[in-house]
Amino acid sequence: MSVIDIKNVVKIYNDSEVKVHAVNGISLTIDEGEFTAIVGPSGSGKTTLLNMLGGLDHPTAGEIYVGGTNIGTLKGSKLIDFRLHNIGFVFQSYNLIPVLTAKENVEFIMQMQKVPSKIREARTRELLTQVGLGDRLDSRPAKLSGGQQQRVAVARALASKPKYILADEPTANLDSKSTENLLDIMEKLNREEKITFIFSTHDARVMKKARRVITVEDGKVIRDERKTN
Amino acid sequence: MNLLKIAWRNLWRNRRRTIITASSILFAVFFVILMRSFQLGTYGHMIKLSIESYMGFLQVQHEDYLDDMTIDNSFESNIELIGQLDKMPGIKAVVPRLETFALASTGDQTKGVAVVGVDPGRELNLSNPNGRLVQYRVTPAAIEKLKEYGLPEKLLKKLSVLKNSSFVSSDGLRAGIKMSDTEAEKYLPVILEQCSFNNNPLVTGDDGVLVSDRLAKFLQLTLGDTLILMGQGYQGATAAGLYPVRGIIKIPAPDLDNKLIYMDINKARELYNLEGRVTSIAINLHDNSDQNMLKTKNKILAMVGNDHKTVKTWKEFNKVLLQQIQSDNQSGKLILGLLYFIVFFGIFGTVLMMIHERKREFGILVSIGMKRYKLAVITMFEMMFMGLIGVFSGIVLSLPLLYLGHEYPIRFTGDMARIMEDMGFDAVMPLEWVDMYVLWQGLIVAFMVILSCLYPLRKVFSLKEVEALRA
Repeated sequence: MSVIDIKNVVKIYNDSEVKVHAVNGISLTIDEGEFTAIVGPSGSGKTTLLNMLGGLDHPTAGEIYVGGTNIGTLKGSKLIDFRLHNIGFVFQSYNLIPVLTAKENVEFIMQMQKVPSKIREARTRELLTQVGLGDRLDSRPAKLSGGQQQRVAVARALASKPKYILADEPTANLDSKSTENLLDIMEKLNREEKITFIFSTHDARVMKKARRVITVEDGKVIRDERKTN
Repeated sequence: MNLLKIAWRNLWRNRRRTIITASSILFAVFFVILMRSFQLGTYGHMIKLSIESYMGFLQVQHEDYLDDMTIDNSFESNIELIGQLDKMPGIKAVVPRLETFALASTGDQTKGVAVVGVDPGRELNLSNPNGRLVQYRVTPAAIEKLKEYGLPEKLLKKLSVLKNSSFVSSDGLRAGIKMSDTEAEKYLPVILEQCSFNNNPLVTGDDGVLVSDRLAKFLQLTLGDTLILMGQGYQGATAAGLYPVRGIIKIPAPDLDNKLIYMDINKARELYNLEGRVTSIAINLHDNSDQNMLKTKNKILAMVGNDHKTVKTWKEFNKVLLQQIQSDNQSGKLILGLLYFIVFFGIFGTVLMMIHERKREFGILVSIGMKRYKLAVITMFEMMFMGLIGVFSGIVLSLPLLYLGHEYPIRFTGDMARIMEDMGFDAVMPLEWVDMYVLWQGLIVAFMVILSCLYPLRKVFSLKEVEALRA
């Protein structure tokens, strides 16, 4: 069953009278439970594509359907609400709220969703335990290592029970041990809980773990490989 | 995790900047309150000296008196009216007066003076001239005797500075010399004895006069001397008379102290040929607020009827004082405005810097599902917290000074005092104690905090996620 349907999406940036075709007619389908990596050289358009999949940017042409909703037509607080309930984000530099503890960072998303406090607390504890941080609930981001912060970010992304998680270069700032650890956790969540992960990455270790690798170049998909494990 | 909690924690992310910005607000509020307190305290003091202790907050006058302040515009003193006013609730004192001008002479010296004919009994409730009788005077002879007595050089120096100064109480003299407790215990009795000044009060039917201290010094008058008064009586009659100086009084308002002569109202009527007439009935009120003053004025107006008499508030019959206060108040407000302007840009700069530094973070928050208005609310809360810390600390810091300045007003001495007195001001600078103005300064600064947030909030509302994430 498809989670995302991308139909002939084009994104053009008007940069000082020069039109840049960042994404040039991409059509794709992402199914539920996929563990997909979007790869390609810098400037190939993978981040732009990921931004559009996250509803952070609108396509110049084409449509992106998430669960039957064309997210290109959503605007303002409707779009923010859509993101809150359907998409989880993991950013390259973790981007946790520095003044909140690990527990509060995760809980914050559910609070915005108006989840009752008891359910919220139980789920926060469960998620942080799943990513191996059950003992660091009350630590603020500054007291956590990069790998631990990224694991909190994964727990935060999962908190809203999204349809899919977008991870933009999630391992770029991590050492190899932390990368391995993070990828294992995400792969486990994907296998056991059927959570859909979409990465943009340069990291060979991520590509190795991914079961589908979409290669983008000059705004176009030049290869779409599926592995059978 | 509520927004208030996040805002509070955010505030302390950059502790140093928060402290610096809050401190700038604190000092602004502190100086603004202090400055305003000085202004209002001075106005209050001026009103107390001129209005509450001399002119009264309301006056019943002849309807033409204000335009032409001559005794021709006097009116028949009506015992019934005075009795009615006495019984009126909210009225503290009712004092009939005959006020006019004369030329005062002692032979060698002549000066234009203000003659006030008063009922000595009733006047105790308003200007109370008998309570202002000079009790001590630091004469050169007294200083010489104290030197012979062996008074320490330090105290003699202080007394020399006060040469020819007059005091209405021993406390005043002690404060003037600035004596320590030990010095006072040892030397004050002898100083008081040498500086003692025998004075007499004005009594009903007295044919003498009380002369204000500065005027007495100018005319070189002392007790028992005879003063010649010459002027114009009612409807062009000549007024002239000889009056023994019964006492010398010290008026705190230097302007009045330079020209005032008190005499019994019946003697003044004889002098000016004004049988049974007065120029005003001065009235003091328990509640001096503008609202009560106008309410009482209207009640008295209804009482005096249409008998060519009118009732004026002090703001109407002493426009000079009112304008003096108003113009000083306006210039003071202008300086306050400039101070506020500087504070505003200080806060605005901090908010802008904060928004700029956290653009990426804001982008993340909106990306993960936080509504922009919530982000705006957090930003507002942060600034309000900072503003409140600054405003509250500023107010708290100013309180001890306000209390000290109110209870123990700054008294200028030396040249500064002389300059102030020459300008007609008492050389005292009291502070106004806490009142609505303190709250207003706090509210104005709080309003500026909100105002300084408007532009950054606009930025939050127009935030583009992708651009913010790239920041």
